[in-house]
Amino acid sequence: METVLEIKNLSKHYGRLKAVDGLNLTVQAGTVFGILGPNGSGKTTTLGMILDIINPTNGEYTWFGKKSGTATRKRIGAILEHPIFYPYLTAVQNLKVVCDIKEVPYSRIDEVLVQVGLDERKNDKFKTFSLGMKQRLSIGSALLCNPEVMLLDEPTNGLDPQGIAEIRELIVDIANSGKTILLASHLLDEVQRVCSHFAVLRKGKLIHTGLVDDVSKGDKIVEVKADADNLLEVLERSGMASKVKRELDKYTMTMQNGYSPEDVNTYLFKNNITAKHLLLKTRSLEQQFLEILAETEGGQR
Amino acid sequence: MMRLLRIEWHKIGANRTFKVLSIIYLIVIMVISMGVMPFLRYVTRKFADNDFGEVDFTMLPFYEFPDIWQNLTYVAIYFKIFLALSLVYAITNEYTYRTIRQNVIDGLSKHEFIWSKIVMAGFLSLISTLTLFVFGMFTGLLYSYDTSLSVIFEDIYFLGVFFLQLFTYLLFVMMLATLVKKPLLTMALMFFIAVVEGIIFGRSMAFDFPWVQDFLPLTTINKLNSVPFPKYVFQEIQDYVKLKELILVLVYGGLFYLGTVRLTVRRDL
Repeated sequence: METVLEIKNLSKHYGRLKAVDGLNLTVQAGTVFGILGPNGSGKTTTLGMILDIINPTNGEYTWFGKKSGTATRKRIGAILEHPIFYPYLTAVQNLKVVCDIKEVPYSRIDEVLVQVGLDERKNDKFKTFSLGMKQRLSIGSALLCNPEVMLLDEPTNGLDPQGIAEIRELIVDIANSGKTILLASHLLDEVQRVCSHFAVLRKGKLIHTGLVDDVSKGDKIVEVKADADNLLEVLERSGMASKVKRELDKYTMTMQNGYSPEDVNTYLFKNNITAKHLLLKTRSLEQQFLEILAETEGGQR
Repeated sequence: MMRLLRIEWHKIGANRTFKVLSIIYLIVIMVISMGVMPFLRYVTRKFADNDFGEVDFTMLPFYEFPDIWQNLTYVAIYFKIFLALSLVYAITNEYTYRTIRQNVIDGLSKHEFIWSKIVMAGFLSLISTLTLFVFGMFTGLLYSYDTSLSVIFEDIYFLGVFFLQLFTYLLFVMMLATLVKKPLLTMALMFFIAVVEGIIFGRSMAFDFPWVQDFLPLTTINKLNSVPFPKYVFQEIQDYVKLKELILVLVYGGLFYLGTVRLTVRRDL
């Protein structure tokens, strides 16, 4: 697979503060890569450096195997933090500036405005737009050059639920069209829904990378409720769970050896117990994220 | 270069501040090029009411070839402030709106960004010079007795001097705007530097150390075209350009450019 972005030992220090500290990261073509981290963990600083607007203290990075420059940036569609445009220009006038910078024909403007649903407001000034429209315009602007890579930093920040849903749908559409996407966010379910890979940053350090699918592949937990006095004993005897724990009115089994809720059901029935509640719980990225943070915090202190 | 000019034109063409300042500037140039004669007539009429006897100020060859070129450019350069302010806004807006950051993300290099401003400054200077040329020709032909080509074009190089003065001044303003990033602060700084230079200039004349003037950028730019009017009361004036002064202005222009580049490249956007 082609490597789109390679970051080697990238650092940015502001005096004693290490905003980004020795970061290494590789992003392959066609992946939707989520960068997670609490506020102030260095996500935006990292993106700023690989887009050449923040001068790194140390380290290097390559785009498409080449040293970064205007030629590589023209192939990338990127928005950092809030949408940035000339407030006194209309949507079309703003996009013309971007077209000239990226050396893309003006004919693309109408296409992307339709794609992000702003064609009706195209001759209105940017300052009259709502936040959701501004955000959509910036995604449209990033799409102008038909980019091989899109870089989105908190694209749903500050939007209302409808706006969030719209932007998310747009991102999924773009991802389905085969583009590589780098998505920085602190919204975990957002990353879980759209991303294939994820990395976790904390205090400027990379503390975890992995597949989003692997998160749910971890320990499966099955909740069981049944009217039987010996339920705990029966469940423990089954050999399907590494651990059975009582939680109020139900029991949770941490499953092992690939057993599924189906197996539990069959087993209970054989033991003359009818389950009235049987639920498979996969771990969410949120749980894993918090665990990862907790682990490193414990390890560092 | 056309690409950079186009980018810049898209940015400022629809900007109201830019439009207002440019229109004021064009009107001022027109007034200078055409309005001095009516003014002199008015002064003459005023004086005619006095008992000093007839003094006909319209006899002054302000608009006559070849004097007109030095006269016009000398007066017009004082109004460069209008163009300078529109450049101040064009640059500081990029920092207040943070659009310079998005420009670079989109694929403009920091050098290209600076050059887009320089190209626009050059373009505006060129338009001003051409406007001055057109109106100068017009009024010159109207008021001159001698309209032979050699006389018309004798001192036309003052238009080139005007262009260089204007352009260098705009580069100076570009550096200040890049340095402080805020429009009002930039104007305050421009004003402050002008005042300080004025004081130093005054002292250097009074206490006889004129060499210090070479270290004053604004003074150096202004000195390129000396005051032409004393010649009408039969005093000697400098009606040519000194090579040393020309070189100094070019050096200053280069320094302003390098200063802007250094400030921009080292900065995190």
